[in-house]
Amino acid sequence: MPPRKILVVDDSKLLHRMFEMMLRQYPLVHAYDGKEALERLAESKDVDLVLLDMNMPRMNGLELLEAMKADERMKRIPVVLVTTEGSDEQTQRGLEAGAAAYVKKPFRNEELIAVVQRLTSNAA
Amino acid sequence: MTARAPKQQVDEQPPRRADALAELQATLARAGELLHSLEQSSRKVPSGSVNDLEDRLNDVVQDRDELSRRLAEYEQQTGRLMNLYVATYQLHATLDPEEVQSTIAEIATNLLGAERFALLFWKGDGSECEIALGHGLKDDPTGFYRGGHYAGGDPAVDATLTDGVLRIGPLEESDAVAVVPLTVQGAVVGALVVLKLYEHKAMLRPDDRELLDLLAAHAASALFAARVYHQTDRKLRTLESLIQLVKRG
Repeated sequence: MPPRKILVVDDSKLLHRMFEMMLRQYPLVHAYDGKEALERLAESKDVDLVLLDMNMPRMNGLELLEAMKADERMKRIPVVLVTTEGSDEQTQRGLEAGAAAYVKKPFRNEELIAVVQRLTSNAA
Repeated sequence: MTARAPKQQVDEQPPRRADALAELQATLARAGELLHSLEQSSRKVPSGSVNDLEDRLNDVVQDRDELSRRLAEYEQQTGRLMNLYVATYQLHATLDPEEVQSTIAEIATNLLGAERFALLFWKGDGSECEIALGHGLKDDPTGFYRGGHYAGGDPAVDATLTDGVLRIGPLEESDAVAVVPLTVQGAVVGALVVLKLYEHKAMLRPDDRELLDLLAAHAASALFAARVYHQTDRKLRTLESLIQLVKRG
């Protein structure tokens, strides 16, 4: 089975570089805001997981998540919110909007890898 | 198991036969003891082997646990080194001053967990510092970081801006979580002041020290190089425009 494809959505170039290093065994697709992410999702129909920041220009993470859950083609793709917004209320909002998991920045690399491995193996 | 000759028979035998019988009885008694000890030792061998196997199994389990612990440590260390590598790489990946500043902010926010921070640079006349970059400063209760400049007031920040020493909180008479000196060729050109961490990050961890050291060593030089390049590039373009004008004239 080919490795699962992951879409990384974050406006930080530093984070994209980190994910590239951390998740070398996975093919990554990159987007820097919500709107670009929707374009990438339309182009790459085999995305298995989305790592999503909350605060981004043009379309933020929560808006993208809601758009994905409203779209029949994308609603089953698991989304991990990776964000500095760490309050319980914000976590709850993200999970209610349909996020599969929530990772707070700054995170330990092994913590994120564990979440990715769990969700990509579930998707298999 | 011992063999006993009937006592009645011994009493009835002549003396020589009685001696032989006594000797035989003694031999039989010794044989019985030997047999008994053999039985004992034959019982001990398997139980000793089981104990030995259990000991070895315990050793193997301990070795496995130790290896798992070390593997987890190495993974954490690899993660830390990777973060440091990526941070350094990104700081020096561009010659655009705004992008370098943005990278410093991303390191502070995403890797350190800083919710409120200020990037200070000494002004040319050395009277005060400009705030080159700030995050969450409108909520700062100290009032030191207003109007795009820092004129002094926080003892820890003032000390670092003078002596170039990295300070990590808790700090006396200062609310700063950390004050990171920014130096270029040994001269202090500014400081990164971390004023507040995100709620879910209670305090700086020991491994954050490496990241703060990295910022102290690389952030200023990366930004300084980008600013010099930017200024030189602008001058070059001006000169090229002048040359074009002269050529046309």
